[in-house]
Amino acid sequence: MLKFIFVRLLWMAITLWVVFTLTFFLMRSVPGGPFDSDRRLDPEIEQNMLRRYHLDEPLFQQYLRELGNVARFDLGYSFKLRDYTVNNVIAEGLPISAALGILALSFALTLGLVAGITSAVRRGSAADLVLMSLATIGIALPNFVIAGIAIILFVFLIPIFPAAGWGSLSQVVLPALCLGAPHAADVARITRTSMLDILSQDHIRTARAKGLSKLRVVWGHALPGALLPVVSYLGPATAYILTGSLVIEQIFAIPGLGSHFIEASLQRDYTLAMGCVLLYTVILFTMNMLVDLSYSLLDPRVELD
Amino acid sequence: MSMRAWLPLLMVVLGLSDVAWAVLRVQLPPADFTFINETEVKSLDWAVVTGIPEHRIVGNIFEGLTRLDAATLEPLPGVAERWEISDDKKTYTFHLRKNAKWSNGKPVTAHDFIYSLQRFLDPQTGAEYAYQAWYLVNARRYSLGEKGLEPGDSVEIELNERPTGARPFARGELLHGKLVRVEGAEQDRVFVVKIDGRERKFRTGEKGDEAAGMEPAKQVLLDFREVGARAIDDYTLEMRLENPTPFWLELLNYHALLPVNQECIETYGSPEWTYAENIVTNGPYRIAFRRIRDRIRLVKNERYWDKQRVKLNVIDALAINTQVTMFNLFTTGKVDWITDLPAIVLRGLLKSGAARDELDPKPYLGTYYFLLNTRRKPLDDVRVRRALALALDREEITRTATGAGEVPAYSLVPLGISGYMPEQFSTENVREAQRLLAEAGYPDGIGFPKLEILYNTQQAHQTIAQLVRKQWEKNLGITASTRNEEWGSYQTSIRQFEFDVARRAWIADYIDPNSHLDIMVTDGENNNTGWSNAEYDRLIAAARAETDENKRVELFHQAERILMDEMPLIPIYYYVDKNMVKSDVRGFYRNPLDQHPLSAIWIDEAAAPTGGWGRRTASPQSIEVGGPAEPRPLPPDVRE
Repeated sequence: MLKFIFVRLLWMAITLWVVFTLTFFLMRSVPGGPFDSDRRLDPEIEQNMLRRYHLDEPLFQQYLRELGNVARFDLGYSFKLRDYTVNNVIAEGLPISAALGILALSFALTLGLVAGITSAVRRGSAADLVLMSLATIGIALPNFVIAGIAIILFVFLIPIFPAAGWGSLSQVVLPALCLGAPHAADVARITRTSMLDILSQDHIRTARAKGLSKLRVVWGHALPGALLPVVSYLGPATAYILTGSLVIEQIFAIPGLGSHFIEASLQRDYTLAMGCVLLYTVILFTMNMLVDLSYSLLDPRVELD
Repeated sequence: MSMRAWLPLLMVVLGLSDVAWAVLRVQLPPADFTFINETEVKSLDWAVVTGIPEHRIVGNIFEGLTRLDAATLEPLPGVAERWEISDDKKTYTFHLRKNAKWSNGKPVTAHDFIYSLQRFLDPQTGAEYAYQAWYLVNARRYSLGEKGLEPGDSVEIELNERPTGARPFARGELLHGKLVRVEGAEQDRVFVVKIDGRERKFRTGEKGDEAAGMEPAKQVLLDFREVGARAIDDYTLEMRLENPTPFWLELLNYHALLPVNQECIETYGSPEWTYAENIVTNGPYRIAFRRIRDRIRLVKNERYWDKQRVKLNVIDALAINTQVTMFNLFTTGKVDWITDLPAIVLRGLLKSGAARDELDPKPYLGTYYFLLNTRRKPLDDVRVRRALALALDREEITRTATGAGEVPAYSLVPLGISGYMPEQFSTENVREAQRLLAEAGYPDGIGFPKLEILYNTQQAHQTIAQLVRKQWEKNLGITASTRNEEWGSYQTSIRQFEFDVARRAWIADYIDPNSHLDIMVTDGENNNTGWSNAEYDRLIAAARAETDENKRVELFHQAERILMDEMPLIPIYYYVDKNMVKSDVRGFYRNPLDQHPLSAIWIDEAAAPTGGWGRRTASPQSIEVGGPAEPRPLPPDVRE
C-alpha cells in the first residue's frame, strides 16, 4: 500500500509539471494581458509595469523563473488582487468552497443513496417512477435554474432563508442544496443501476435463501458492492465541488474559489489562474487515489499494486 | 456486521458531522450602512489602482489636499485648509491644517505629500495612473525613468543598498549629481554622472563592472527636486504646474494624488502595508478588516480632523458583481445602496414607478460611442463616416436597449459640464445620410463592403450592436455583421486596429471638456481610430495653455466642432447613473461624476424604511470591530 501511494505521488509530481507547462504557455499565447483595461496605458507606464512583474523578459526565462517559484510552493502575488499572494487567496477561498462543497456532497449522498436504493428495491413501483423522474430533471436542469427557483421559493415566497451572503448556517443551506442537487440525481441513478445489478446476483439469492431479513440483505450484502460505481463517481465530483462553483458562488455571493478560478483566467491573472489549476490538479489526483484505496476496502477482489 | 457493511453508514455520518464544521465563522454584528462595491478591490494602495470600486474605498480612507462637496463636487478644503493660486495660474501654495492626523496619531505634513508624490511617480511603483500627476512640472520626465534623461540634467541615483538606519523597505541611498553623458546601447546603458566634481559611472542592476570603474545602481532618475512640488515647511506645500489646469484642485482629491504614510510603507513594504493591521490612513474612515471577495468593513476614524461631520460608524462594502444578487439583497433589506441592477428589472421599476424614492437615474459625465477605424476603406472617407452617424435612430437604442433614461448623444463631450455646451452634430437625417453615401460612391449602399461591429461579450453591448446593424441595413442598404470577443481579445483587437467599428465608452475623471477631448489627439493611447488632425491637436494644446476661461472654452468648442465634422467616432448615448438607494438614506447626491463620499451619508431614523422587511435586523447601535479603543480624546477641531 505504501508503495502504491509513493508511486502515485511520483506520478502526481510529473502530472503537475506537465499541467504547469501547458497552462503557462497556453495562458501567455491568448491575446491580452493582465494590464489590459478600458483605458490604454501610456507605453512608458506599461513598460514600467511589465518590468516590475518581469513580463518583459523572454518567455522561456519567465517560464524557468515561475517554475522555480512554484517548486518552492511560492505561487507569487495575484495580478488582479494585488494586496494578496495566491497562497493568501487560496487559503481564504478554499475552506469556504470546501465547507459548502462538503455540505452539498453530504446532501447529494444522503438523498441520492436513499432514492437510489429505494427505487432499486421497489423497482417498477410508483416510488421508483417518481424518484427517477426527479433525478432526470435534476440532471437536466442547470445549476442556475435550480438556484433561481430556490430563491423565488425560499427567499421571496416563503421567506425563511437570506438571499445571499456567507457567514451563518442559514446562508449555507440554499447554495448547498442547489450545488448538491445535480449530484444527488447522479448518485441516485448510479446507485439504482448498480443495486439492480447486484440484487440479481447469486450471493444475494444465497443470502435470501438463508432466510436473512430484507434489510440485512440490502444493507449487509448488496450495498457495499453497489457502492463501487458511486465511489468512483465521487472522486472527480468531490474535486470539482471542493474547488467551488462559479455559478452558485456568484448567485449567492459566496467568497469561495470558484469565482477566482474563472475570473483569474478571464482577466489574465496569470499567477492566480496557475494557482487554481495546480490546486485542482492536486485535489483531483488525491481524490482519485483515495477512491482507489477505498476500492480495496469495499471489494475484496481488488488488490492494490 | 463486517466493517465493509458499516462503511456506507460511516460515510453518511461523516458527511453530516461536517455540517457543524462547515459553519466556519461567527456571524458579524450588522453594519450601519451596507453597499455593493461590485468587484473585489485590486488594492488599497491608491498608487496602483484605477477602478471605481477601488476609488469608493480608497477615497474614504485617505484624504487629499482637497475634498469634493458631495452634492456639487466643488473642491473644499481637505488636509489643506486654504491655498493661494498665482496670477499665471501655474503655482499653487497650500497651507495645511495643523490638526490633520494620521490614524497612528502623528500629524499629516507637507513632507508626507512630497513622499507620496515621489512614490507615485517612481517607475518602480508601476502606477497605471501616473499621468494624473503629469500636470506638475517635470513629473512626466521623472516617471519615465532613465528614458526621460538627457545630458545636463540633474539626476538622482538610487543605490541598491539602503542608508544605514533606514527602515527595511525604504528607498536605496540617493546620490545627486549632473548627468554628463550616457554610454552604451539601449539595454545596457551606462550613466556618467558628475558628483561633487568627480565623474562616476553607474549601471543599473545588481552588479557593477569594477574593472571598467562602473558602480551598480537600482535606478537613475531625474532629480526629484526638479519636479514641481516642494515642502516649504512642515505645513506649507508648493506645486508648480506645466500649464494652467483649472481642474487641478479637483484632481487633488482624485485617488492618484492622496497622501500615504511613509513610516508605514517603509516598515512593512508593499503590499503588506495595506493589511488591515498595518495600514495607516488619514481619511474619515479606516479599515476594520477585509475578506477577499466578501467584504471590506470600514469604521469611523476617531482621529479624523473633521469627525463631527462623519455620521455613520460602521460601513460594509460588499464585493458582489452579479446584478440579480445585488437586487435580491436590496429588496430583502440587507443592503442600502446598489450601484447597478438588471436591465429588465430597471425598466420594469421605472415604468411602474414602484421605486420612485429609491431609483432616480440622472445623467453623469460618460459617453457611449462607436469607434470607426479610419485606416480602413471605406471608413477613411469622411462622407461615409458622417452617413453612418446620421443614419442611426438613437431614440430606439436608448428606449429598447438601455432603458434607464439614457440620453441620445450627438457629441463626445457629455452634457452637464457647467459653462460648456458640447458641439453637437445635426440630429439623425436618413435622407442626408443616403445622399452622403451616394456621393462617396455607394448609392443605396451598392458596392459598399460589409462592415463588422466589434464589441466585448456582454448582453447590453450585443443588443446595441444588433440594433445599429439593423438600422444601417435598413436606412443605408449596406450589410453589417457583429462580432463579440471576450474582454482581453477585444482590447487587443482594438489596439491592433483589427476592426471596422467597435463599441467604446469614456467616463470623465474630472468635470472639464478636456477629459473627453484629450483622448482624440493624434496617436493618443485611447484614440484607437487612427484619426489625426493637426488643427485639432493644436487647439487642444492651446486650450491647455490658456489662462482665460472664456478663450479656453472657445478653443474646446472649435476642437470639438472639428471632431464632429470629421466623425472618427459615432456618439450613441450619454450615461445615467443606476444607483438604487434606500429611501431613508440622506446625503446621497446624484452628481456628474457619480461619486458619493461616504462621509456625507447618514440615515434618517425618522423616515420609514422602504422595501422588503425593513432595513436592519439588529439595532443600529454602533459596534466597534477590530482595532484598539481610542487612547485619548482629541482636541476639538478648528474649522476655518
